[in-house]
Amino acid sequence: MQWLTPLVGLYAAAVAIPLLLVLYFLKLKRHEMLVSSTLLWKRAVQDLQVNAPFQKLRRNLLLLLQLLALIAMLLALAGPMMALDKGPGQRYVILIDRSASMNATDVAPSRLAEARKQAKIFVESLRGGAAVSLRDRADHAMVIAFDRHAKVMCNFTSDRRQLAAAIDAIEAGDGASQLGEAVTVARAFAQPAGGEADASSAEARAKLVLFSDGRIRDVETIVLAQDELAFHRIGQAQDNVAITAMKARRSYEQPEQVEVFASLANYGAEAVTRDVQLGVNGNVRAVRSVTVPACQTDADSATPVPGKVAVNFSLAHNGEGVLEVRQLTADALTCDDAAWGVLEPPKRLSVLLVTEGNPVLESALRACPIERLDPCTPAGFEAMDRALFSMQNAYDVIVLDNHAPARLPRCRYLAFGAVPSGLDVNSPRELESQMIVDWRARHPVLQHVNLTNLFAAQTRMLELPRDADVLAEFNESPALAVLHRRGSTFLLAGFDVLQSNWPFEPSFVLFCYNALNFLATQAGGGEQHELSVAEPIALESVSAKTVTVTCPDASEVEVRPDPGGSARFPATYRVGVYGVDIPDEPQRFYAVNLLDAEESDIAPRQEISLSNLTVAAETQAIERANVPLWPVLVLAALVLACAEWLAYNLKARI
Amino acid sequence: MPATKPTTRKLTELLDAKFMARLDSLDVLSRKILQGKLQGERRSKRRGQSVEFADHRPYVVGDDLRFVDWNIYGRLEHLFLKLFLEEQDLTIHLLVDTSASMGMGEPAKALFAKRLTAALGYVSLVNNNRLSISLFADGLRTQLTHMRGRNYLPQMAEMLLTTECDGFSDFEKACRDAATSRIGSGITIVISDFLFKQGYDAALRRLIGARYDLYVIQVLSPQEIEPELGGDLKLRDIEDGDAAEITVSAALLKYYRRNLAAYCAELNGFCTRRGAVYVRANSADSVESLVLNYLRRVRLLR
Repeated sequence: MQWLTPLVGLYAAAVAIPLLLVLYFLKLKRHEMLVSSTLLWKRAVQDLQVNAPFQKLRRNLLLLLQLLALIAMLLALAGPMMALDKGPGQRYVILIDRSASMNATDVAPSRLAEARKQAKIFVESLRGGAAVSLRDRADHAMVIAFDRHAKVMCNFTSDRRQLAAAIDAIEAGDGASQLGEAVTVARAFAQPAGGEADASSAEARAKLVLFSDGRIRDVETIVLAQDELAFHRIGQAQDNVAITAMKARRSYEQPEQVEVFASLANYGAEAVTRDVQLGVNGNVRAVRSVTVPACQTDADSATPVPGKVAVNFSLAHNGEGVLEVRQLTADALTCDDAAWGVLEPPKRLSVLLVTEGNPVLESALRACPIERLDPCTPAGFEAMDRALFSMQNAYDVIVLDNHAPARLPRCRYLAFGAVPSGLDVNSPRELESQMIVDWRARHPVLQHVNLTNLFAAQTRMLELPRDADVLAEFNESPALAVLHRRGSTFLLAGFDVLQSNWPFEPSFVLFCYNALNFLATQAGGGEQHELSVAEPIALESVSAKTVTVTCPDASEVEVRPDPGGSARFPATYRVGVYGVDIPDEPQRFYAVNLLDAEESDIAPRQEISLSNLTVAAETQAIERANVPLWPVLVLAALVLACAEWLAYNLKARI
Repeated sequence: MPATKPTTRKLTELLDAKFMARLDSLDVLSRKILQGKLQGERRSKRRGQSVEFADHRPYVVGDDLRFVDWNIYGRLEHLFLKLFLEEQDLTIHLLVDTSASMGMGEPAKALFAKRLTAALGYVSLVNNNRLSISLFADGLRTQLTHMRGRNYLPQMAEMLLTTECDGFSDFEKACRDAATSRIGSGITIVISDFLFKQGYDAALRRLIGARYDLYVIQVLSPQEIEPELGGDLKLRDIEDGDAAEITVSAALLKYYRRNLAAYCAELNGFCTRRGAVYVRANSADSVESLVLNYLRRVRLLR
């Protein structure tokens, strides 16, 4: 037994107990009355006292009871504590799906709001610990919100208000839904720390309560015990028309033309006609009406296959901009009704060729549709101002011919022969007489390139790091590889062009064409302007102090880049266009799209098929289960106390 | 300030005319037949020369021939003497308590006592009896003695109406003084609430004698008979200021009533054992019913 505040109790006792005794023995204020004679009254009082010895006892009993009550209160003030083995009662993990499909408005106001409401009802019905019991076992719960990743909103607690606040803090998102991480996190939290896991874990196994529409991707990979998961299905409708694919591309030959491809899917049971609108920078450029066929149920696997239709737009736009493809009729899920793309301004490449003198390479490069080609000697390259390079991005591609400089600015490189240093690539020795044995014909660099007859008399052996992309192989060493290092992209060829028979192959020019095209698309050192939901916006070589990111809901967030000049904005939870403002630079745009056929299929599932069992949705809606009765009892006690006071007053008068 | 003539108090303030008319037909009775001084209308056991025939006895040589009943001799041819009762007049003493305790009550016991005194005094004076009224608190306060005849009615009324009830009560002193000033024989009527802390035994014993009938009339107010009190009270005695702290409850009231009944019963027993008559009256009752019905039943009046 411990006493938290013993001194307080002692002081209070020293004051209160004598006070009570003094009060008790003070004379009662009596109403004075004149009577003709007190003779008979005094006799009556004596008779009463003599004939009722119990009176004295009753008076003392009252004093005793009051003393006991006072002592109990004083003890409470002193704060006694008793260490007991008090384990929690049943533990629950509340999993709330906040993926894109939960934003559907078929259940007002949205499926996520409905899930939150049901979760809050569930929280309210948790059994709270009894206030007057020593071995109370309150139910504990934790709240996890998941889309692709799991976020713990509230750790295990029995405080219902805290849980309700955590549930309210769940924000809608547009991500895909995956349960694996959430289950792993839940299991990790549910394990009691320390060595008591064996005794209590069996009976204290946490129950998972899932509030979702059932459209979860990776359920087949999850293993759960029987009765471990309770699935509460949210949502009813299945009708939805979504844009499931969108691509905007400038044609390489005619950079002013933009081709936009979009694909619409219909998950409803009937074919619908929709208007699809294309806009650039907010201006509508084209509207097309398409009919999307109905969703079919595949006869073999009984899975519904949505009806699809493809839409093509072709427009001329000479400049950069933000493309928007939007389906004009509002339906249950709005975040898949539009898709955005970011257009780079049409650009012809500027290529720097660093070579001692290689007319073959030079003429092959000049045959490609580039803006300019600047040949340069290695000495001249060294002499160039590196700082100037990074700032202005003067050249899109730098072709290195047998030149391996020590330090390279950030750029895209096509390197023949010598491998630049600092790339984690070792070339221990030279190889002779190598033939190409294999190449990746589907890679953009090697499209339509036939390397069958490529023979290299001399080549360097390449030992590449694990993240290098090998495009072609000689019999003893990789021949062509793509590597990303330090913000630069390198397309490496371990052999000198003039040491091989490639210039005589028609594939050489094609290769150069493809290589330049490919390297040109690696604009910004691997920067992607089209992202899916929850993919971070990564900025490189930012020299400003802060960067302002404007979200689609017009809120602004400040991001500070690290000393290396990189900045990350990971909170791309909603679809739309994010604008990035770097001081002294033009504004950049990033488009975050859903483009997910699985999430756009909003039909809620009746059951979840885990890898080892199938959990059906709960048929009963959640209702308030455990109602505490103590308010009723306290009210009854109050009423009884009033009645007792009334009865005492009435009786005393008689 | 000019001296105002004090207004004369009238008997009609105490007794109304109808009651007085009924009282005219009453007379005071004595259970013991007592001797008076004048030849009044009382019967006494002394067979003497008076006009009322009482009995016959046979003639013996030497008796007075004037009292022979010749009608019986004519019938029975024997000589019988008429016997006559000697009638004597009655002295009526009224002893009325005017201490502070009599002033309490709703209706006031004092008013009842005064009205009762007035009624009994009226009956006495109207029938030419000798009346003496003594008002006492601690000892005799006011006395009107040797009243006879209607002429004294206003005086009696004046005295009764002008006396206020206050003061400590010393019953024994009052009875002692009254007994010494009592002359002759007659009826003594004590009107009081008899709530004396010193007791009434010794005092009443003084009033008891061979020559006097004693009538004890205890007047209590309804508040004393059935008190309607509640709560925590401090009762103060109006006479001696003594305080009693009580907390009223059903049990306490029960004991009070029991004590009151016991007290009255004790007084009753005391009176009965000594040949006195005890009458208990409630000040809320009407004086008329007490006088006309009850006192006739106990043969104080006829």
